[in-house]
Amino acid sequence: MELTRRDFVKGSAGAAAGIALLKPLELGKKGNGAQQFDNLSEVAMLIDVSKCIGCWMCYLACKRANGLPEVEQLPDPDNPPELAPATWTTLFTKKESGEWHFRKHACMHCTDAACVKVCPTGALHYNELGFVQFDRDNCSGCGYCTQVCPFEVPQLQENKVSGDCQMDKCTFCIDRLKKGMQTACAEACPTGSIKFGKRSELLEEGQQRVAELQKTNPKACFYGGSELGGLHVMYVLEDSPEAEGLPTDPKVPAAAAVHDVIQWVGAGAAVAAVAGFGLNYLVARTRIAREGKE
Amino acid sequence: MMEARTIERFKRRTVWFHWIHTIAFLALLVTGAILFFPSCGGPAAGGATRIIHRVAVVIFVGGALAYIPLNPKMALQFVKDCFSFNKGDLGWMMAAPDYYFGGPEDKMPPQGHVNTGQKMWQLVILGTGVIFVATGAIMWFAKGSVSESVFQWSLVIHGLAFVLVLIMLFVHIYLGAIHPRMTESFKSILTGKISPTYAKHHYGKWYDSLQK
Repeated sequence: MELTRRDFVKGSAGAAAGIALLKPLELGKKGNGAQQFDNLSEVAMLIDVSKCIGCWMCYLACKRANGLPEVEQLPDPDNPPELAPATWTTLFTKKESGEWHFRKHACMHCTDAACVKVCPTGALHYNELGFVQFDRDNCSGCGYCTQVCPFEVPQLQENKVSGDCQMDKCTFCIDRLKKGMQTACAEACPTGSIKFGKRSELLEEGQQRVAELQKTNPKACFYGGSELGGLHVMYVLEDSPEAEGLPTDPKVPAAAAVHDVIQWVGAGAAVAAVAGFGLNYLVARTRIAREGKE
Repeated sequence: MMEARTIERFKRRTVWFHWIHTIAFLALLVTGAILFFPSCGGPAAGGATRIIHRVAVVIFVGGALAYIPLNPKMALQFVKDCFSFNKGDLGWMMAAPDYYFGGPEDKMPPQGHVNTGQKMWQLVILGTGVIFVATGAIMWFAKGSVSESVFQWSLVIHGLAFVLVLIMLFVHIYLGAIHPRMTESFKSILTGKISPTYAKHHYGKWYDSLQK
């Protein structure tokens, strides 16, 4: 049975109920895992915000599955936790005419990721499945990623005195996927709001769902199909992207794109200069020597 | 042939300052290049190079500021030189290609204490220095408090200044220490002294002013 937002709000006493729900939850036992996919690079997630009841199961499951510090209490929707090195998924929340509205927010795993473009050490890179992977050991803590992500996903914990910096973010549960499991958040979601599956199928399913919602809600829209080369986390939204806390038409910032060009210009100019000096040295030495003899 | 008489081209303290500045500059350049060229990023892992970059910039800027009271005349001259381009410099620019490719020496108009090329290098150091410090300060202290596009463009401008200063540094090293015509240039920044003949040939106007 799938819960609806109304059931949850009516039937639960909030925080306590959420924790109680998670207690018997054993991650990795539910079906529909990654083992059914021959090619894991085809998988994605679809988040249907119309089905999200704000139970925070994804948030709790993410922390548990990834060994992040767990919390004693469910977050307050008025004051939801921000993404952080220890919080890889959260909820964007808003209350409109007395009704809560939630959108799960985490790394979108862009196909064309701005963070990967600017990361100087390759700590942020695409792994073999096409997800944006972060290797903490390679991170220099420069924080460029935090300044270019259109979704404000990478967050830095920075000690201004020691200069020590830490970033961390959603891995798309890459380790679970490789073990044949699905993402922890999708597995924990009691309403089917977070779906894990083949991207092309989810894309179709999501667009159908949007068409259905549009019958009663013209604002409903699909998000993530083609943005930034196609996101690995796609949405069925009940309102415009902006109203849901997402940028309309996100782009790799121009400055991040320019960076690549400057690197090549710099390398090219340096090589040209050295070659030029070599030539100059040979010519000048020969001519000066000849002049000296005369 | 070594001449017995020498001319002081740089004061001792200027030589010291040059080399302290060089060390800080190279530390900045290397730790910067590591972040600039993605294929060189390995050593930046863990963030030690970011710390070195910050320590080095304090020495670089602090050294420059400390030099002002130590040799105010030269410091002022340095800044003046950066903004004293005139018609005479056109003569240097016309003559430079052939001169630096080993052409006849007498075609090069006599130069002052620094020639046009050296003035250009000084201007690049001063200009990029200001740009580096301004954009670097934004990245160091204002991440999160300035808008994201300000941060991003600071990064780009920092990178452009890096390319410019990298190329000009190559020119500086080549002409200062390697070029076959600059026989006493490198020695002068070690000892501060050059021979009168070298001074006459390379800095004719300056040499003449010393004779007065």
